[in-house]
Amino acid sequence: MEQAHIDIKEFHWLMDMLQTIDVGLVVLDKDFKVKVWNSFMESHSGMTPRQTKDQNIFELFSEVPRDWLTHKANSVFMLKNRSFMIWEQRPYLFKFKNNRPITGTEPFMYQNITISPLVSTDGVVNHIAIIIYDVTDIAANRNALEKANHELEKLSRTDMLTQLNNRGFWEECLAQEFSRFQRYQTTCSVVMFDIDHFKKVNDTYGHQAGDEAIRQVSQILRDNLRKTDIAGRYGGEEFGVILGNTDAESAIIFCERVRKQVEAVTVVHEKHEIKFTVSLGISQASNTTSDYKVWLEQADQALYEGKEGGRNRTIVFKPKTE
Amino acid sequence: MTTPVLICDDSSVARKQMARTLPSDWDIEVSFAKHGEEAIAAIKEGLGDILFLDLNMPVMDGYQTLEEIKKLDLPTMVIVVSGDIQPEAHKRVKDLGAIEFIKKPTSKEALVELLEKFGLYSPSEKLAGTPEPNALPTIKKGEIGKIEYRDCIQEISNVAMGQAADLLARLLNVFVKLPVPRVNLLEVSELQMALTLTEQANTYSAVCQGFIGSGICGEALLIFSDSSFTDIAKLLKYKGEIDRTVELELLMEVASILVGACTNGIAQQLDTSFSQGHPVVLGQHVKVSELIKANAKRWKKTMAIEITYEIENYNISCDLLLLFTEDSLENLNKRLSYLMD
Repeated sequence: MEQAHIDIKEFHWLMDMLQTIDVGLVVLDKDFKVKVWNSFMESHSGMTPRQTKDQNIFELFSEVPRDWLTHKANSVFMLKNRSFMIWEQRPYLFKFKNNRPITGTEPFMYQNITISPLVSTDGVVNHIAIIIYDVTDIAANRNALEKANHELEKLSRTDMLTQLNNRGFWEECLAQEFSRFQRYQTTCSVVMFDIDHFKKVNDTYGHQAGDEAIRQVSQILRDNLRKTDIAGRYGGEEFGVILGNTDAESAIIFCERVRKQVEAVTVVHEKHEIKFTVSLGISQASNTTSDYKVWLEQADQALYEGKEGGRNRTIVFKPKTE
Repeated sequence: MTTPVLICDDSSVARKQMARTLPSDWDIEVSFAKHGEEAIAAIKEGLGDILFLDLNMPVMDGYQTLEEIKKLDLPTMVIVVSGDIQPEAHKRVKDLGAIEFIKKPTSKEALVELLEKFGLYSPSEKLAGTPEPNALPTIKKGEIGKIEYRDCIQEISNVAMGQAADLLARLLNVFVKLPVPRVNLLEVSELQMALTLTEQANTYSAVCQGFIGSGICGEALLIFSDSSFTDIAKLLKYKGEIDRTVELELLMEVASILVGACTNGIAQQLDTSFSQGHPVVLGQHVKVSELIKANAKRWKKTMAIEITYEIENYNISCDLLLLFTEDSLENLNKRLSYLMD
C-alpha cells in the first residue's frame, strides 16, 4: 500500500485498530508531552485522550520515574535505537490494576515496555512511542514457580518430624564448616548427642511417645541455638550441632544447658509421665583432623565414652597423646 | 601514468567489494593484501601509491600498519575503509597519517567524491551514469580469494558490529575496541559448553533476545562479565550501591544497544528488517544449559557470530553471540548472494 494513496476510510480503520489494540500505546514529544493515548491507556488509567493531550507525563502520573524515563528516552532520541524494559527490572511503568481484579493473584499489572524512536519524514527523531504489554500472567506464574522451587528446596533439606535440618543437608553444612576451618583456621566445634535408653522409651510407651520425646528434645535444642549454629537430626534419636566460632570449653556450656533442660522436662503421653536424659560428645576442629568425617567420628567417640561412663553427661574428645 | 592501488583487508568479500567500487575508467593497477604485513611489503615493492586500509585485521591491524608506514616513511596515501565508525577511530587514523576515512560498506558516490577532492581521479564524461556494479579491475598482485558464505557473514557482521559500537561509544562517551568477529557453525554441545560459563555464580550475567524476519530467525545472547558492572555504572552515572536491580538495569541498557544495533545492521545489509521480542534475563529463573538441553532435539547445529566488545581504559567486556537457526541458513545465503557474484 503506497503511503500517499491511503484513502480516508483506510486511515480511519487503521486508527481504529491502533485505538482498540490490546496493548498500551503512548507517543511523547521531546518535552515528555503526550501526543497519542490509545484506548488501552484510557481504560486502565481512567484518563481520556482529551485529558492527557499535550500534558506532561510526569505531572499526570507521579509513579512514572522521571529520572529513569528521561535517561531511557534521551538515549532513544540520540541513538535512534529501541530500548526495552522487562518486568523483572521494574514491575511496571504505569501503576494499573490487574486486568482480572477478582481472580488475579497480583494486585497490579506487570508490564514489559518498548520505547521506539519515531523518525519523521526529514529523518529526525522528535517523538518516541512507548508500548506497554500486560505480562501479569507471565510474571505471576514465574513468581509462583520461584516460590514453589524455594519451598521444594527447603523441604528437601528439612526433617519432617523435628523441622530441623535432615542428615544430608546437615552433613553438607558440616563439610563446608570444616573447609572454612581448614582455610581460615576459625575455631569451631561439633556436637553429637542422643537420647539415653531411647529404645526403652519406645518399647514401654510406644513409638508415638518416642516421637514426642524426639520433638521435645528438638525444641530444647532449637531454644538454645544461636543464629549461626546449625542443628540437624542425624538419625533416629541422634542429633548433631555445628557450633561456629566456639571452642570445646564454650561448647560444654552449650551442651550442659541442653542436658539440664532435657533432664528437667517431662513428656506426658497417654497419662504416662516420661522422664529421660541425653548424652553429648564434643569435638573441636583441629589440624590433626584430616576431614569432616573424622571430625564427626571424634564427637561420636566422645558420645560413646559418655554412654560408657554412665550417660546423662557431656564429654569432650581428647586426642590420644603418646 | 597508471597508479598502483593497494587494497588491504582480511575479508575476501571486502576486498572484492572495494575493488568493484573503484571507478572503472580510473587508470590504475590493483593489488591485494590480507593484512598489514603484506601491505607493507607490497608498498615497498611500489604496488601501493594509494592504500585502501581496513582496521580490524589479524597479524597486523590497521592502526599498527599506519604506525609502520609513518615510521618507515613509506610513499603511500592511506584511505582507511572500516566498519568501525566511532568518531574516535576516525580521529585516531587521521592522527596516524591517513588522509581520509570511508565507512563500510563503501558507496561509489562517496568514494568518487573523495578521490576528486584529493585530485586523484576525475570522471570522464562518457561514463556518467554507468550502472553498478563495476567489472573487476586488472589485478597486479595478490588475489581476492574464494568467497565462502562464511566470509560474507563475517563481513556483514563486521559492519553491523561497528554500527553497534558507535552507538555504545556515543552513549558512554568512550572508545570501544573492536575485534575480528568470529563466525562458526556450532554443534549444540559446543554451545552448551560455552553457555555453562554463565552459570558460575556471580561471574556472568546474560540476556537473550529473539529476532525474526524474511525466513531468518535466531537469538542474540549478550554475556556480561559481572566484574564490568562497577565501571558501566560509573559511565552511565548510576549513583549508590550496585545491587541486583541496578545490575539488571545496566545489563538491559547495554543489551538494548548492542543487540538492537547489531541485528538492525545485519538486517539492513540483508535488505530486510527483523522484529524483536522482549529480552529475557537468563539464569535468574532458569539455568541456561537446561534451556538448551530441552531444545536439543529440535536442532543440532547453529550458526554463531561471536563478537567481543571491550572498552578502552575500563574494565568492561561483553560477548555478543548471534545465533541463527539451521533452517535460516538457506534464506540467509540467498540474501547474501549479492556479495558472492
